[in-house]
Amino acid sequence: MSEIRVGKYVLKTDLLYTESDEWVKLNGMEAVVGITDYAQKKLRDIVGVDLPKRGQKVTLGEVVAVVESVKAAADIYSPLSGEVTDVNEELTSSPELINKDPYGSGWLFKLRISNPEESKKLLSPELYAEKIKGD
Amino acid sequence: MFWTPLINFEEKLGANLGEFAGWKMPMTYTSYQEEHMAVRTKSAFFDLSHMGRLRITGKLQEFENLVAKKVSDSSPGTMVGPTAFLNDKAGFVDDVMTYKVSESEFLVVTNAINREKVINWIRKNSSLEVEDLTFDLVMIALQGRGIWEVAEKPDLSPLQFKLNAKFEGHEVFLLSRSGWTGEDGLEFWAKPEVAQSILERLIARGVKGAGLVARDSLRQEMGFVLYGEDIGEDVNPVEARYWVYSLDKDFIGKGALLDILRTGVDRLRIGIKLPKNQRVIPRNSSKIKIAGKEVGYVTSSTFSPYLSRVIGMGYLSSRHFLMGGNAEVEVRGKDYSVKLSDFPLFK
Repeated sequence: MSEIRVGKYVLKTDLLYTESDEWVKLNGMEAVVGITDYAQKKLRDIVGVDLPKRGQKVTLGEVVAVVESVKAAADIYSPLSGEVTDVNEELTSSPELINKDPYGSGWLFKLRISNPEESKKLLSPELYAEKIKGD
Repeated sequence: MFWTPLINFEEKLGANLGEFAGWKMPMTYTSYQEEHMAVRTKSAFFDLSHMGRLRITGKLQEFENLVAKKVSDSSPGTMVGPTAFLNDKAGFVDDVMTYKVSESEFLVVTNAINREKVINWIRKNSSLEVEDLTFDLVMIALQGRGIWEVAEKPDLSPLQFKLNAKFEGHEVFLLSRSGWTGEDGLEFWAKPEVAQSILERLIARGVKGAGLVARDSLRQEMGFVLYGEDIGEDVNPVEARYWVYSLDKDFIGKGALLDILRTGVDRLRIGIKLPKNQRVIPRNSSKIKIAGKEVGYVTSSTFSPYLSRVIGMGYLSSRHFLMGGNAEVEVRGKDYSVKLSDFPLFK
């Protein structure tokens, strides 16, 4: 998986992004969702996470999870509509994985997407790089 | 916005800067959890240059009338300890650390947000001379269980201090055996270039930089209050269970304080602990409930790296002050169980 660096932030080229700093890995009708390196660095020490339930139906833009840092609680928005098929339960006891490995073991949840058309609204790595540039 | 004079040095050490009380300060270097544990197991330094530092000169009797704790009982070269300036309703104008230099000279450390307020308040309520040293000197704390393995141990008992003292081969304006983390250590005030030289020596011996986030989690484990969060003008020391006054002398707010002691209080400060697996952080103003009834609110909360659980503090109705009992705290509309605990929370 190749990377783009924007200042001190890392992006992965095989992922799509949201304006609200989530990343999405699309694999057919399945989407894996997490928060970007930029988002975890802004939040700094992540100490808790509130994940959605398996089987929960979610719509694009809906608040589906919360990431707690000592500074603030950050809402996580669903980047697409669909049904939650899996959540990263390891984060319940080790939320710091989001800081350590935001694109890997720090993933948040998986979705079976219901409207593939929506993925066209996601940002390409290049557009997301533009968004965070200079910040 | 003020900036710590050590900002360039600290950025080179990897400091992440943030704003606190109108100052740009290091918030973390690596992660607050590592920094917190460095203090609890080894050693770390904090830059506290944002804290107000005042030199006050004049009659002891006038100073005695301002601070809630008795100053005349302390020897010169001793810190009177945490005390407070109270308003005439016995609310906190500020909680301060007071150093008795002589019978006519005192040093006071204020909270950063209250520095100007305190200066004006002292001038309004006394004829004492106030000199603001905040911008001439930086203030550094060295704290930790292993601090004397790496730093020169000063010939001082806890809460003693010296002026124009030698430390690590340099002359510092003030050296005190004090801190605010619950661990042993010292604090010094010095010119920025002197402080930087001392820190360079200590960093080479393994002392880590720690930011204000770790300082906040350390003080919460101890149950120490933060002005603006846990106390303020509308909170008195009895409610806060912050025993920073002496009743055998007169001071501003004493009359109100006596009335409060006679009448009793409606709320009291208490600690909370969440179960280990419950990783939600109640924020300031989160409701505390007992059996579904709202009986208090949270003022501070954090994840304690030492206890591996979320802790905090707040105020509970005194009729519901069920120390050791269970309660709930409301976070984002959901109730989570908490244990009502006394301070310190981590021992």
